[in-house]
Parts: sequence; structure tokens; C-alpha cells
Amino acid sequence: MEPDAQLVQQCLRGEGPAWEELVRRHTRRVFNLCYRFTGNSTDAQDLSQEVFLRIYRTLPSYRAAYGAFPTWLTSVTRNLLVDHYRRTRHDRMTDSIDDAMPVLEEKHSKARTPDKLAESAELSVQLQRGLARLSPELREAVILRDLQGLDYNEIQTVLAVPEGTVKSRINRGRIELARILEEMGLRPA
Amino acid sequence: MDWNCKFSEERLSDYLDGKLSPAEASAFAVHSGGCRNCAQLVAQVGGLVGQLHQLREIEEPADLVQNILDATIGPRTQSGGWKKWFSWVPVLWQPRFVMGVVTVAATLAIVIHTSGVTPAKLKRADFSPTSIVRSANRQVHLTYARSAKFVNDLRVVYEIQSRLQPGPEPSPASAPLPEQRSPQQTTPQQKSEKDPPRDRSQVRGGSMFAALLPSSVPGNVVATFAWSPQ
Repeated sequence: MEPDAQLVQQCLRGEGPAWEELVRRHTRRVFNLCYRFTGNSTDAQDLSQEVFLRIYRTLPSYRAAYGAFPTWLTSVTRNLLVDHYRRTRHDRMTDSIDDAMPVLEEKHSKARTPDKLAESAELSVQLQRGLARLSPELREAVILRDLQGLDYNEIQTVLAVPEGTVKSRINRGRIELARILEEMGLRPA
Repeated sequence: MDWNCKFSEERLSDYLDGKLSPAEASAFAVHSGGCRNCAQLVAQVGGLVGQLHQLREIEEPADLVQNILDATIGPRTQSGGWKKWFSWVPVLWQPRFVMGVVTVAATLAIVIHTSGVTPAKLKRADFSPTSIVRSANRQVHLTYARSAKFVNDLRVVYEIQSRLQPGPEPSPASAPLPEQRSPQQTTPQQKSEKDPPRDRSQVRGGSMFAALLPSSVPGNVVATFAWSPQ
């Protein structure tokens, strides 16, 4: 498999298949980040499309000095998510977010039993509802760290904040989410 | 190290992520072991992090990648599997294609017919390059000979036609005066009244042969020759 940097160079030379490969490789990651942040599949699809449109337009300005391509991609996604959050702040009501939270459609392995599937789906719904009640700053920190698997340096690059702030937000986000879930009657095992 | 509940809460994620130094981690563990609230918090947040890590990725909608590609590099036709090998079949049923095929077939038939090729008499040896070149060469020479003959025939016809055309009328100055005419000389009207009408073919034929003769031949000879068919 060709590294992302090589695919980016091929894209800059106008090779369509390289762009298609980049999109196929990173769509799920971007969609998950958008979905976990917004809790809405339609918004996540629109935002994912918007992310790749912006990446496509600004690809010539990408430099390896900005970090690895996935980190840059995550930064662009995060900035668009923040814009989206600000744009929809006045239209959003906390209660309606909870009510509108959809059931997550997850990719399950065939070996999982129906009980496990139902349990996992229910847990996923509860976690998503808990995430929606976190403040955006804490939510994005927890998502990037625990769902996207970024390390502290990458999160620092994406959020453009000092490392101490990153650590603080992740820590406060986790504690806050645990308390929210406890209030919802879900006690993590 | 004097560790307390506030430290535990502030450094909880560092502890869970293994970012504490050994001394800090030891102090954290000692404090949590003796503090019920901190122990509960560690268990609660530790369990949550474990659950978040186990949370599987959501599968994106099937058409999302295609929509993204359409929005960026434009819509593309994508037909997968065996169907893409037969995607051209519907074209065969379009009237434009059928008309094109019929036209090409008719053109080929005309070309084959005019070139003198009889498909029923074709042999395998006729398709050898030597035979094809020889046949083409012969056909070119035949065509040239026919064309040359046609041009020569046309030249003769035009020459005859040009000589058959009547010459310019004599000018009044050069024409003899009426009173100077000999008694034998008559006007064309008088002549037509005196002479019996001759056969149309004879007139034309005589004039034609007369026109073909060189101008050096005397007029009486011309007259004699002209009327010889009689």
C-alpha cells in the first residue's frame, strides 16, 4: 500500500486514481469523527463531503511540515466541525439532540452473538448520547483521543492548543462523560 | 510524595494512559487504594475509556465515497461486474447505428461490384498479398485505359460538333449586290422554292461529311462528295 504522502504527490500531478484511493482510505475515519461529534448521520455525511471538498481544493497548500496527512485531514475536519457547531448553535436545543440521537449502525463481525450485538449497540447509543452532552471542547478532545486514537502531540496539532490544555481537556472530558453516563444509569464496567 | 484527591483527579488520564513517572504512579496507586472516592473514580473512568476503545468504527453509508468523488472530480460512470462488458449492447439497437451499418454494407457492395470482384468466385489464393497487388495494378490500368478512351471519344464528338456549327454570316460589304448576281445565283428563299425539299438526313449527312473534309478540297468535289449518298 502506498503511503499517503505519495498519494498526495500523485494527486498534485493530476492522477485521479490516487485521489480516489485517498478518499476511499480516509472516508470512514472522517465520517466517524463527524458522526461522533454531531450525532447525526445526515450532518456527518454532509460534513464529510465538505471536508474532502476542502481537502481537494487546498491540497496544493499541504506540506509535510504540517504533520502527517491524517493529522492534517483531522485538523480540517475539526475546524469544519467547530464551524458547523457555531453555525447551528442557535438552532440546537440540548433536549432535542438527545431525542434525535439515532441508533448507531456498526459493523459487526459475524461471530458475535445477537445478545452481544444488542448489548454493543445499546452501549454505543448510550455513549453517543453522553458525548452529545459534553461541551464541544471536551467532546472533541475525548473523540480524538479515545475514538480516533490520536496521541497527545497529534491532538495538540489538530486543536492548535498547548499540550497541557490537551491533557486537561482529555482528562476533564473523560471524567465528565463518566458522570453523565452514571446519571443516565449506565455504569461503565 | 504527598498525594491527595485533587492530584488524583487532575492526573487521572495520565495514570490511565501510562504517562506518569514510576514514583507518581506509585503514589497515585497508594492513594487510590486508601480512598474510596478516588478508587471509584478510577474504576469508572477506566471502564469508560476501555469501552470507548472497544467501540467499533461506524460503517459509512454506501454512497458516501461516490458522492465525495462526484463532488470533487465530477460524476463518473461506474458499472461493476460482468455488466460492464455488455454495456455497449444497447447501442446496437439505436436507429442511427443500424442506418450506419446498412450504409456501410451498401457502399461495400457497390465498391465490390464495380471493382469486378465476384465473391462466389473468390479463392483462398486471391487473398495473398501478391494476388491483391497484381489485381489492383491490373484494375488501375484498366480504369486508366477506359478513361483515356472515353476522353478521346469525347474529343472527337466535340470536334464534330464544333465543325457542324454554322459559320458567321457574311458581312453586307462583301456580299454581292442583287443586280450583280448571275442569273444562276438565287437567294436561299428562291432556292428553297425551286429545289425540291430534300431528305433531312441527307442534308445533315452531306453537310457533316463536307464539314469533316479539309478546306483545301475544291467546292465541286465537296458537292459531289456531299451528295454521293444519293
